[in-house]
Amino acid sequence: MLELRLVQGSLLKKVLEAIKDLVTDANFDCSATGFSLQAMDSSHVALVALLLRSEGFEHYRCDRNISMGMNLNNMSKMLKCAGNDDIITIKGDDGSDTITFMFESPTQDKIADFEMKLMDIDSEHLGIPEAEYHAIVRMPSAEFSRICKDLSSIGDTVVISVTKEGVKFSTRGDIGAANIVLRQNTTVDKPEEATIIEMNEPVSLTFALRYMNSFTKATPLSSMVTISLSSELPVVVEYKIAEMGYVRFYLAPKIEEDEDETKP
Amino acid sequence: MLTIRTCNQLWLCPHSLSCSRKLLSALSLSLKPFSVKIPKMTSNRPSAFDALMSNARAAASKKRPQLPPQPSPKKPKTLDPTPQNPNPNSTPKTDVVSKKPSSCTMEELKAKVPLLKSKAGEFDPNSVSAWAPGERVPFAFLCSVFDLISNESGRIVITDIVCNMFRTVIATTPEDLLPAVYLTANKIAPAHHGLELGIGDASIIKALSEACGRTESQVKKQYQEKGDLGLVAQTSRSSQSMMCKPDPLTIAGVFHTFQLIAKESGKDSQEKKKNRIKALLVAATDCEPLYLIRLLQSKLRIKMADQTLLAALGQAAVYNEQHSTPPSNIQSPLEEAAKIVKQVYSVLPVFDKIVPSLLSDGVWNLPKSCSFSPGVPVGPMLAKPTKGVSEVVNKFQDTEYTCEYKYDGERAQIHYLEDGSVEIYSRNAERNTGKFPDVVVAASRLKKPGVRSFVLDCELVAYDREKQKILPFQILSTRARKNVAISDIKVDVCIFAFDILYLNGQPLLQEELKVRRERLYDSFEEEPGFFQFATAITSNDLEEIQKFLDDAVDASCEGLIIKTLNKDATYEPSKRSLNWLKLKKDYMDNIGDSLDLVPIAAFHGRGKRTGVYGAFLLACYDCNNEEFQSICKIGTGFSESMLEERSTSLRSKVIPTPKPYYRYADTINPDVWFEPTEVWEVKAADLTISPVHRAAIGVVDPDKGISLRFPRLLRVREDKTPEQASSSDQVAEMYSAQKHNHPNNQDDIEDDD
Repeated sequence: MLELRLVQGSLLKKVLEAIKDLVTDANFDCSATGFSLQAMDSSHVALVALLLRSEGFEHYRCDRNISMGMNLNNMSKMLKCAGNDDIITIKGDDGSDTITFMFESPTQDKIADFEMKLMDIDSEHLGIPEAEYHAIVRMPSAEFSRICKDLSSIGDTVVISVTKEGVKFSTRGDIGAANIVLRQNTTVDKPEEATIIEMNEPVSLTFALRYMNSFTKATPLSSMVTISLSSELPVVVEYKIAEMGYVRFYLAPKIEEDEDETKP
Repeated sequence: MLTIRTCNQLWLCPHSLSCSRKLLSALSLSLKPFSVKIPKMTSNRPSAFDALMSNARAAASKKRPQLPPQPSPKKPKTLDPTPQNPNPNSTPKTDVVSKKPSSCTMEELKAKVPLLKSKAGEFDPNSVSAWAPGERVPFAFLCSVFDLISNESGRIVITDIVCNMFRTVIATTPEDLLPAVYLTANKIAPAHHGLELGIGDASIIKALSEACGRTESQVKKQYQEKGDLGLVAQTSRSSQSMMCKPDPLTIAGVFHTFQLIAKESGKDSQEKKKNRIKALLVAATDCEPLYLIRLLQSKLRIKMADQTLLAALGQAAVYNEQHSTPPSNIQSPLEEAAKIVKQVYSVLPVFDKIVPSLLSDGVWNLPKSCSFSPGVPVGPMLAKPTKGVSEVVNKFQDTEYTCEYKYDGERAQIHYLEDGSVEIYSRNAERNTGKFPDVVVAASRLKKPGVRSFVLDCELVAYDREKQKILPFQILSTRARKNVAISDIKVDVCIFAFDILYLNGQPLLQEELKVRRERLYDSFEEEPGFFQFATAITSNDLEEIQKFLDDAVDASCEGLIIKTLNKDATYEPSKRSLNWLKLKKDYMDNIGDSLDLVPIAAFHGRGKRTGVYGAFLLACYDCNNEEFQSICKIGTGFSESMLEERSTSLRSKVIPTPKPYYRYADTINPDVWFEPTEVWEVKAADLTISPVHRAAIGVVDPDKGISLRFPRLLRVREDKTPEQASSSDQVAEMYSAQKHNHPNNQDDIEDDD
């Protein structure tokens, strides 16, 4: 028996919008701790980890640990039917091959039940330890989204370098090149407008912008984004979900090409 | 069954900083030299995470029983959290053994695979398998075998290799034999299922660029240089590291994915296909990308003829059954087994039936366990060309034979099943039922009462019912191809039946033609313009046959088919048999039959032909070497509109460099090369030895080929694929036949342009 009641239903909608383009099918794991998901994209280049802690739900009942395979596109279709102020309840019965999403309007005058078929997904679960990073950049999520979008109109990859000067995003393409440098800036009115750079060691890594742009679909979830970098390790792009948990995207870096054969 | 797992160590040691530092520096050290010397794509993705993640994965896999590749990932799953057999589909047996081919390394395989070359008699089927019995056979094994074969040219060696490969598979994982056979044959389903991968180069390029993190233009550029996407895939070095390496590919897994790709249809199907291809590419290592792409393009090109595969399969079965002695009357069991498998495949071209029977009942029982069945089309029996009535009379001196009109239409096999359903198959076993709803009605209506099921061999011919006249083939080809509604039909067709292969539950293939024909005549009512029996006479009088031939031509037929009635008169599916001869009116004065050839290159036109191609280079197909050999240039026989049409259609098939499997002389220098796509029916005055062309090179002359003189185009054969073009063997045969018949008039010139 499973029953998760989330007052802030729009949150779930946003989460789905953030990850459905990266991953098509995934297992949602439900345990006493919370509602979580871990999945890799089909190229095994990016990984998304989602956690919604049980405390964040108004009502959270999960008798046994279960894993439910869902097609994220179908799930998103259903969640789109929920109003932004609706309360969403996820319900499942033991032994059932479906899951139900119940949408209640805030005034309780409309209640909708959507039932979705589950699927069997063969996925591997990776343990991801917390790691020490060479550099951690905290910045407004909208700013990061803007940078990725702007750069992708110039090139396919972004080089993110952190030095004591600040953090630099650069790209190069057929039509030219672009460099964007952000400096540490904590003297702002609102804390969510700050840019905070913690650096233990300078680091510079190259990533496919295609993936970064896909990650920024999570921007509506949080006003801040945290980017953690270490050389030769995947970058972590984290969007905190207020009082509930996080969506973390991991992306394997590109390898610098030594030939210019590929540079047209 | 799945829970949030405790953190298996992944990238870093979380406890002490110093520990993680050490790990990191070790990593970066090992990474740098590693990433430099990597020539292959996905193979050795320099992924640091792999090394680290492998521990996590190993730990994870211990907790989770390894499953065989899921038959269907879309299967509904239950919410029942109690531990249970996680894959209800799998037989208990497959659950017990670990199916993951993790125990074998590429190096190990590479070192062992050459052993397959040893003589089949001395080969130990357990010597090569680098995986444990019961494990899914790695796809890498199959690819290494393909690699080995591609470097061989001898048919016997290749048969041995394939035979030994099958034996290895049988010895460890017999259930993988079927996918292995299918992949080796580069097929995904029996022809009449009509399943095709349906993947264009564009999808592959897209998948390839996404899988290795390059742009499409980079891949395209390299494709232009190399001319083979397989090679591009193999040499594409990935610039994108991975989070963790996917499981190694297995033969069964790859084949299953291919089937899923073929079944994908409707909205976004190209996108879904691309994603599946990408997933395969991401997991492919070493030589796997090369053969993966070639298999996807249905262009394996490792000189593996179907007949070789069938022979190897038969032989493998013999070795597999060594404990059971073959029936005592069999002298050379290997050859006999090869023959049996070939024979059975010709009447039941369905590996899904043959392979399991082979494993369960053995090769000697195969003809009993697998036989002709209605609903599964067989290749139509074909006729050999002859050049004159006198030749026919000579060949069939002492036997009774019959002559039938050779109608100019579409060959069709009509299957009428007990349940009343009807299917019509083309000569390529394509389902044509939707194209001929009128034929379905006519065939069901005109069978006599008491006929419950039949398989009919016939020609569907365009027919003018008012004037009671046969119309030319060109009219028939104007009919719509798919989902024709009876009310929309403008071109009527008449069924001209000439053979019956199956009647009321009984296969008739082994009966003499005389018997078959009687059954045919007894089972149907003729109705002019709808269903007629092929006009026939039984005679051995030269003049009578000559007159009959003239009548046939007057009745808008191509000529005659001459068949033996009693002796050697069984139905031989897909064989071009000497027991059926064809005699066409226009054979008389020149080389006999027309040839079906493939345009592989062209020259720009000049003067009146500016803007279109002026001449084309044609090739025949050598099925032993899987190559197209140039045979002649052609510039006549085109009407202006036809030339325009052909030029336009071929212009989209231009490739920058000739395919590696084209044989031609360097002196030819055409302006453009084409992808082999079209088949043209061509007639010529005669065949000569040519220093320029390469058809049947080595057969009649050690380093000269055969060429056509005065070729002209008759029509485009839309029912044939390039690989079904006239073979170099046929060309060589025609050349020798011509020498035999006209020893002195090699210079016969025909000028009816």
